[in-house]
Amino acid sequence: MELLGVFTNIEQAATAVEQLVRAGCPEETITSVTSVPYPPGVLIRGQRRGWFHRLTVGGALLGAAGGFALAAGTAWIYPVQTGDKPIIALFPTGIIAYEGMMLCALLGTMAGMLLEMGLPDLRRRARDPEIADGLIGIAVTLADETRRRTVEQTLLAAGALRIRTDEAP
Amino acid sequence: MSTPAEPHRDGAAANAAMLSSTGPATWRWYLLALLLGTVVTGGLTAFSYQVMTGMVVTGINRPVMWGIYIVNFVFWVGLSHSGTMVSAILRLSQANWRRPILRGAEAMTVFSIMVGGLFPLIHLGRNWVFYYIIPYPSQYGLWPNFRSPLLWDMMAITTYIIGSSLFLYLGLLPDLAVARDRAAGWRRLALAMLALGWRGTAQQWQTFGRASTVMACLIIPVAVSVHSIVAWDFAVTLVPGWHSTIFPPYFVIGAITSGVAAVITLMIIIRKAFHLEAFLTPLHFDNLAKLLLIVTALWSYFYFAEVFTTWYGHQPIEWEVFSFSAGHYPLLLMIMLLGNSVVPLTCLLWRRVRRSIPALLIISLLVNVAMFIERFLIVVPSLSHKNVPFLWGSYRPSWVELTVMAAAFCGFALLYMLFAKFFPIMAITDVREEHEALRGETVRGRTRLSTLIDEE
Repeated sequence: MELLGVFTNIEQAATAVEQLVRAGCPEETITSVTSVPYPPGVLIRGQRRGWFHRLTVGGALLGAAGGFALAAGTAWIYPVQTGDKPIIALFPTGIIAYEGMMLCALLGTMAGMLLEMGLPDLRRRARDPEIADGLIGIAVTLADETRRRTVEQTLLAAGALRIRTDEAP
Repeated sequence: MSTPAEPHRDGAAANAAMLSSTGPATWRWYLLALLLGTVVTGGLTAFSYQVMTGMVVTGINRPVMWGIYIVNFVFWVGLSHSGTMVSAILRLSQANWRRPILRGAEAMTVFSIMVGGLFPLIHLGRNWVFYYIIPYPSQYGLWPNFRSPLLWDMMAITTYIIGSSLFLYLGLLPDLAVARDRAAGWRRLALAMLALGWRGTAQQWQTFGRASTVMACLIIPVAVSVHSIVAWDFAVTLVPGWHSTIFPPYFVIGAITSGVAAVITLMIIIRKAFHLEAFLTPLHFDNLAKLLLIVTALWSYFYFAEVFTTWYGHQPIEWEVFSFSAGHYPLLLMIMLLGNSVVPLTCLLWRRVRRSIPALLIISLLVNVAMFIERFLIVVPSLSHKNVPFLWGSYRPSWVELTVMAAAFCGFALLYMLFAKFFPIMAITDVREEHEALRGETVRGRTRLSTLIDEE
């Protein structure tokens, strides 16, 4: 279950986060929901390290190998003897391997980014359309109902305009 | 230091202003779309006629086997350069003035590379077997010869189309969510699907920021490679005037020049059409004009280096090509030198010109006309006067080729119009991030300074 407190300004939202942590909410269960990025620490601290770049590197290696196999393999299977030139031409094979590497690195980055973000996310989430206009959301994930009242009171005490939930209306 | 207009500090007002292009279409929009659509239909009809009749309806003939289609190919691929590449460079260098320009430039890249990528296919004699260029197991046992630069083109352009589309989509993702939350009906449903459930959590923004940097780092070498490969289409042949080691960097600089000029032209049109004067200020045009000044200076240097080496060596066939170009196309050569070198290098030195929107519109259009001519003067004279004098000839494009070319320009404009109608044409969250950062101001001495970033 998720509760989303909506604030008009960044100071109130930051205060809410601090008070939620003081009230016993683990920081990893709290996140900000904003329409513009804020530097780490302004609202939420201690973000975990990302891993999507591993897919970038993996994609690059795979693409380079695939490109090399495509160009060199084609020349190997269908040899065209031209004078005393080698069957596998170095520069063309390098160009195809390079383009394959960059293509798969780009695809890997995009796929990795979406996976790391958890997108596409089709679950019902607590939303407030006015966040798009600049309001600040502080979302708290609760394992059960026991802390719901405390969290709601903390958010409202910090100045939340309203609280949304991910429950069906 | 200038600060944004007060109403735009308010997120809702800024969103509304930046999403104004997605509002209901006016009769002028429909009229323009109809006009552009008519020309595109005309181009499709001319191309169909070419397919049914054969390449005889074009002006292509021995010895000039590459005509206006290949000129267009080089021009459009060049045009596609600055969008994504300049956007990526400015993103990496954290130049804050880039923000209102990003989206328009990135969309320009995607549509111009799409248009450019069509020309080699249009140029093929038997267009219907274009798929032979794709390596796949077939009953003929035919595989492409990867030693051919045309195969490198196919790989590079495919990579660039996919890469620049992903780069555009990546930047669009948070803006799609903003547009989704303000939309209704089918548009809301479509935007929700495209936004993939983006919420703007701290973790999403963190990953988004890092991914943007990685994508920017990846797309720059791809862009450089694409135009280098297009240059190698020419440079690896033994045709006089083409066989030059300077061609790849010369082509890349030419591409960036035409791309920056096209970004300026498009930004002026977008600014006027969607009333975005508060976001696209003279400061942005001043900075773009400085960029154009630098790249035209580089282009002039490369052109001088190429011509000087040819003149000094004075090899008969090399000099013959240059003499033919100057003697047969003196007007085109003069427009090229004026538009790509003399006019921008003299006019853009002045701050008043750089901040004058009408002057910049004229200069940016002139640069692109000159750059198109430069592509023509690279392709045609060299083929007209190759090594065997009894095969010398000339080339004049036919009405079919010119109609297809007109359709390409109108098709590009139509795609851009449709994009601006359905998607945010300004990078909303990027612009608002800057406005948000500018709120953190402090008084120092007699002025107010930003505590986080500087707009310049």
